[in-house]
Amino acid sequence: MRIRLKYLALALSVTGWVCAPAQAQDVVKIGFHAPLTGFAAADGKSAKQGAELAVAQANAAGGINGKKIQLVVYDDEGKPENTIPLANKLIGQDKVAIAVSGGYSGPTRAAAPVFNRAGMVYLSAYAIHPDITKAGDFIFRTGMMGEVQGRAGAKLMADMLKKKKVVIVAVNNDFGQALTAGVEEVAGKFGLNIVKKYTFAMPDRQFGPLVAQVKADAPEVIYAPGYFFNAGPLVAQLRAAGVDVPIIGQEGYDSQRFIEIAGKASEGVIVTTSLDRDSKSPATRAFIDDYEKAYKDRVDMVAASGNAAATVAIEALRKAGSLDGKALRDFIRANAFETSIGKLSFNGLGEVKKPVQVQVVKDANFHHYAVIDDLVLLAPPEK
Amino acid sequence: MLHVELVLQGLVNGSMYAVVAIGLTLIYGLLRILHVAHAGLYTLGAYITVLTTNATGSLALGILAAMLVVGLCGMLVYRLLYEPMLERPPYVALIASIGLFICMEESYRIVFGPYGSSFDMPRLGERIALGPISIAAADAAMLVGAIVLLTGLAMLMRRTRFGVAWRATVTDPAMARSFGIDTIKVRYVNFFIASVFAAAAGSLVAVLNNLVEPTMGSVPSYKSLAIIVLGGLGQVGGTLAAALLLGVIEAYGTIYAGAYLDRDAIAFIFLIVVLMIRPQGLFARGS
Repeated sequence: MRIRLKYLALALSVTGWVCAPAQAQDVVKIGFHAPLTGFAAADGKSAKQGAELAVAQANAAGGINGKKIQLVVYDDEGKPENTIPLANKLIGQDKVAIAVSGGYSGPTRAAAPVFNRAGMVYLSAYAIHPDITKAGDFIFRTGMMGEVQGRAGAKLMADMLKKKKVVIVAVNNDFGQALTAGVEEVAGKFGLNIVKKYTFAMPDRQFGPLVAQVKADAPEVIYAPGYFFNAGPLVAQLRAAGVDVPIIGQEGYDSQRFIEIAGKASEGVIVTTSLDRDSKSPATRAFIDDYEKAYKDRVDMVAASGNAAATVAIEALRKAGSLDGKALRDFIRANAFETSIGKLSFNGLGEVKKPVQVQVVKDANFHHYAVIDDLVLLAPPEK
Repeated sequence: MLHVELVLQGLVNGSMYAVVAIGLTLIYGLLRILHVAHAGLYTLGAYITVLTTNATGSLALGILAAMLVVGLCGMLVYRLLYEPMLERPPYVALIASIGLFICMEESYRIVFGPYGSSFDMPRLGERIALGPISIAAADAAMLVGAIVLLTGLAMLMRRTRFGVAWRATVTDPAMARSFGIDTIKVRYVNFFIASVFAAAAGSLVAVLNNLVEPTMGSVPSYKSLAIIVLGGLGQVGGTLAAALLLGVIEAYGTIYAGAYLDRDAIAFIFLIVVLMIRPQGLFARGS
């Protein structure tokens, strides 16, 4: 008898659990996942804060036709195997209207087909792998593809800095590979001579042997895709070894932490990214000020990207006229969105079309250096 | 000249591995515990160094505080975690140790934040020229630090009563006890010294990278296991040689095999090859 009662209680609690969200029709849910623990927890925290800020501000401005927006957040730990169950949970249990990835390429790539099959719009904030948007037409990317940013890097080195002899030192994952591929793709066009290519692993912080070798190669410019926690020590060690040629980074460097780690060595490092710290755009200015006020921390590229992806999701929920996946998809396709990383619109594959910001480290801060807006050079693939 | 620098950089990395792995060897030698959470103490040492240095402005004070606090934490880990399970099969302690390590990593993330910490002013950024070759001051500090620590340990083991007691306890605990050696005290001192080494390694790496992170122990945690196996489990000299050799092999591997092999994979390929040819370890004595 006792056992039966237990089962009854269990059954009641399960049905109660299932019923509760169905009754809560006064909120609109946005699904969100990011690496909140594990090796990528720093980026996960930034992405989450960026998205939360967008949601909080939208709620303060009245939500979606009077309904509050709720961000349903899950930790993907940076592991691809976690996001398929997470995606199913967001779709089936949480019944979110739209989903945003604040995670890396592996987890995002794994989840994309699940969302696409369910007919739910899924926006990748800063994961760069080309296969993500190929999962189907419900999948969008608000961040730049690695290849596109690599092409911008090539133009920066060859055209703007007039340096042709380049050594590439790249992190050995899809991020480094995609950026390297982008540079190589247009190297011939710009007359870049890639002397040597080296790779390092994501956990690497000591680059002594690489630094000795790069010094011996005597390049005119170094292209070094990596994350701030690689780039800080790498740049400091290159400068300490007396290598004083320009170092070109990309959006992985775009965090105040890079400058704190590398110290004086970070001065003069130029990065291609999506956030312009000196922007005059009201959307960007408001984001930078509000973020730094809300979290008492400096803004970074990942936070801006998480914010931009959430902003696109909220705009679509507000204005598409329906919370149906197809309506949201068609609305995002057809419109342009004013966000913290500029005005975003999408091509047929769901890839973002926008210029690349070039920032330079000056007086321990990122500042405007140039904008690359050659949309032919930066055109993402259409299929 | 490139090769001199490559070997030198290999030795810098190797001496870092050595300082971490020696502590692990001391603990394995005495208690047959694979102390994975050692790498968690290493991370703690790095954090204490950076935070104390930023608060007081003195790097020396930061390193001393790290060594002392982490040494005491090591004793605490022995008392609270390992001592109750000494009678159990060795894998019980191993699993507990892995659990503690994960717990430590996540606690650091919660307490210190996921972004990592740095010195307010990067330390030892200058470069020392030795004739035609030059070396970063932080690299030199790592080499000198390792030499001082390892020499100190060798003196302790050979010249002091504790060294005699330690060696006696390793060889035959029952006999050591019957000669009046307090083997329980030996264990505590052993954990203290091993943890001081972990803290020192953490401090030196913090200076080298100007970056300490919650997950900075993950690579040392498994690489130092590979090193103590290579060195012939429990052999202090063998561990030292294996660490330095691995450092140099990695330095060359990064340059000449980096396109196909992750630097961290090199350690394990080396380990597999050695275990196939010399299953007792590279430097194991006897049968």
